[in-house]
Amino acid sequence: MIKNPLYPSWKQHCFRAIVRAGTLAACLTMSAPVCMADVLSDQLSTLRSIQPGDEKGLQQAASIAKQLSSSKELSLIQVLSAMKGASPIGKNWLVGLANGLHRRSSATQTAELEKFLADKTQDGEARYTVFRWLTDNNEERKAQWLDEMLFDPSLEIRFDAVARALASSEEIDQARLTTLLDAARHPEQVAAVIARLGKAGVEVDEAKHFGFLTRWDFIGPFDNIGSKNFDKVYPVETDWTRNQLADSYEGKTGKVTWIEGTSEGPEKIVGLAKNGEEKGRTEKKEKGPDQGLVDLAKLFNNEKGCIVYGKTTVNVPSDVDCEIRVGCINAQKVWVNGELVIANEVYHTGMQIDQYAVPVRLKAGENRILIKVCQNEQKEAWAQQFTFQSRLCDSTGKAITLAP
Amino acid sequence: MALIRSGYPIMKHPIARWIRPSVLCVFGASLSTTFSTLSRAEDWTQFRGPRAIGVAPNASLPEKFDGQSGQNIGWKASIPGRSVGGVIVVGDQVITTSSDGMDQRRIRLLSYDSATGKQNWEQQWVARGRPYCHPTSANAAPTPASDGKHIFAFFSSNDLAAVDLEGNLVWYRSLASDFPKAGNDVGMSSSPVVVGGVVIVQVECQGDSFAIGLNAEDGTTVWKLDRPRKANWSSPTTVQLPNGKTAVILQSSEDLMAISPTDGQAFWRVPIACSTTSSAASESGKLIVPSGGLTALDLSSTGTPSELWKENKLNPNACSPVVMGDKVYVVNRTVLVCGDVFTGKVLWQLRLPDANQIWSSPVVAGNRLFLFSMEGACFVVALDGEQGAIVETNKLGDEVLGSPAISGNAMYVRGATSLWKITSQ
Repeated sequence: MIKNPLYPSWKQHCFRAIVRAGTLAACLTMSAPVCMADVLSDQLSTLRSIQPGDEKGLQQAASIAKQLSSSKELSLIQVLSAMKGASPIGKNWLVGLANGLHRRSSATQTAELEKFLADKTQDGEARYTVFRWLTDNNEERKAQWLDEMLFDPSLEIRFDAVARALASSEEIDQARLTTLLDAARHPEQVAAVIARLGKAGVEVDEAKHFGFLTRWDFIGPFDNIGSKNFDKVYPVETDWTRNQLADSYEGKTGKVTWIEGTSEGPEKIVGLAKNGEEKGRTEKKEKGPDQGLVDLAKLFNNEKGCIVYGKTTVNVPSDVDCEIRVGCINAQKVWVNGELVIANEVYHTGMQIDQYAVPVRLKAGENRILIKVCQNEQKEAWAQQFTFQSRLCDSTGKAITLAP
Repeated sequence: MALIRSGYPIMKHPIARWIRPSVLCVFGASLSTTFSTLSRAEDWTQFRGPRAIGVAPNASLPEKFDGQSGQNIGWKASIPGRSVGGVIVVGDQVITTSSDGMDQRRIRLLSYDSATGKQNWEQQWVARGRPYCHPTSANAAPTPASDGKHIFAFFSSNDLAAVDLEGNLVWYRSLASDFPKAGNDVGMSSSPVVVGGVVIVQVECQGDSFAIGLNAEDGTTVWKLDRPRKANWSSPTTVQLPNGKTAVILQSSEDLMAISPTDGQAFWRVPIACSTTSSAASESGKLIVPSGGLTALDLSSTGTPSELWKENKLNPNACSPVVMGDKVYVVNRTVLVCGDVFTGKVLWQLRLPDANQIWSSPVVAGNRLFLFSMEGACFVVALDGEQGAIVETNKLGDEVLGSPAISGNAMYVRGATSLWKITSQ
């Protein structure tokens, strides 16, 4: 009998069915992890890119977080690695996921986490999260590692490293203090190191080290009765933008002209003055190192309900991306080279160095800065300050280099 | 047992061979869930607990305890960082927040086993809003809240997150990133409430100032209400209106509003200047508002409530009033004042010796009021006499600014750096 190929035998049917089933099984087995990896990658990508105000993205993220929280395919290192380049909001979604995964992870993952921590190209916040996981219950390891992390690219790790060095009960020699000064970026730590160097006989120009803007020309007062003129465009603003400032303007109560003002340090009480009697001794005060503080209340006779403008220039050797950082207890606006970069209509809710920080790009040569400081009419004792400080630094807090 | 068409009883039908194990797996998985999803009467799930009045009428707490000797201290858990917020209790979990790291940017939500004090889980994020605050305060200032299924953590930096009862992230929002001028550099402390599936927070300051209702399931915005651009640390509270609807009370220095939690629409508005630190309380058809001292509004009628009484000697200062039965209690600096909730008449005053500052709102267990000073001294005041009387002054040995929680016969206190369980059991 001749076998017709169009009509295979039952054996051939079975053989073909077995081959097809095996092929399908192999495809499913091999493609499943590949597909799942793609899905996870897409999901992490969605979380990484969440932006403020994105309600739809938020809904999507919540759905993804629910799925990923119970995912057995997702690895802790994968989530931590995804934080690199993620948006700030995205990083918090990812670190939230990572915390859950870490809780469920085994001790064998320690080596992987140490490797992640050692990789300085990874996201700084992710690395600090890992650092805390690995050291929160191990002071000896924390101390050992921090000793080697003074110049870590993660500002959080660096902060802990400098803090540990400063907290040491041992005397810190001058060389070590100089190293710490180079390492420190947080203003409080920088100030602490400078103070210690001062006690060791080494004077550091604090204002220069921080990059404070110390020399200004001011004009005012202009009216701000009722705190209504924060957005009022006085001629000073428009003329400054055009770089055509006049010598005088019509102020709150008459003609006003430019006056020089320089910054100073904070006033602190250092004891009681001796006046021969125990009763009625007055406080003895002295000024601390120049921290770029400009006392507008002193310059403008405690004027209330007013606005003062200040202008200055800085020269840089080449184009540079940096940050202008302002501390101000009053409402303020700041312009750099004609562009409004800071605007906060906030009165008397605290003040500190680097309170407001924004990125700016300075051009080689002269750059012009204008600040508008607004005082209101509050009568409380804690609402009388009229002051600000400002500095230029890189994104880590180190002062930028100015042209000589 | 029901039969299906084949004539087999359901559980004996061949298909049930695979249904049964699946059902058992699901049921078993439910049982194996570590933390109960059922809300209990003893839960303390928000600032000032059930109905936000700071009262656990059936609780029995030890009058005497000592942080140093351990007398009647169930356990103490040291927590990294600092918090001035209160504690909540959900099932067998005690939940608190903390903030630490550079500029207090590391914000944490922590869960502890109520029986042992052992940490169940921890979540953390990086503050994206302004973390600055007065040295007395902390970024971890608001008290968390829970609907029994999720826990909502809010911080002074206006970071808001939801986790499930096992600490898994459900959603996260940076309200300061959504509204960049939201912030107060002396700190913000308004605590969230959860009503009908909506998480409500007040973010009131000189910049972007608003109240917002978010979907508890995914954090999306349900409604947003512009609010006066002035600092406000008070917290929203909820009331039952005569028509049976639940309203959320928002107070500010300009007015008092009752709004719908589902859409933010106002039911009514009263133009009175309210405290921006102490929060209102509601009991028995009255709304006790920190305004002009205290002002009582009548909630028993529909429409805008009328004033029942106002008494400036019942000034709650920084703490929120406690209402129990026919009495209201306020802490006016370092004096505990008791008033009649029906008339506002001052019934008695009790000086709290050596109390320097008091920020923690008092709580009542049975007929004993417990009040912590910032230095960690706890005044235990008997309320069952004609005049309040201090029966004990206990030292915890920890700074206390957050308000305690009471669950069962235990009081949970968040010290600035530790979490305490006070119980005689």
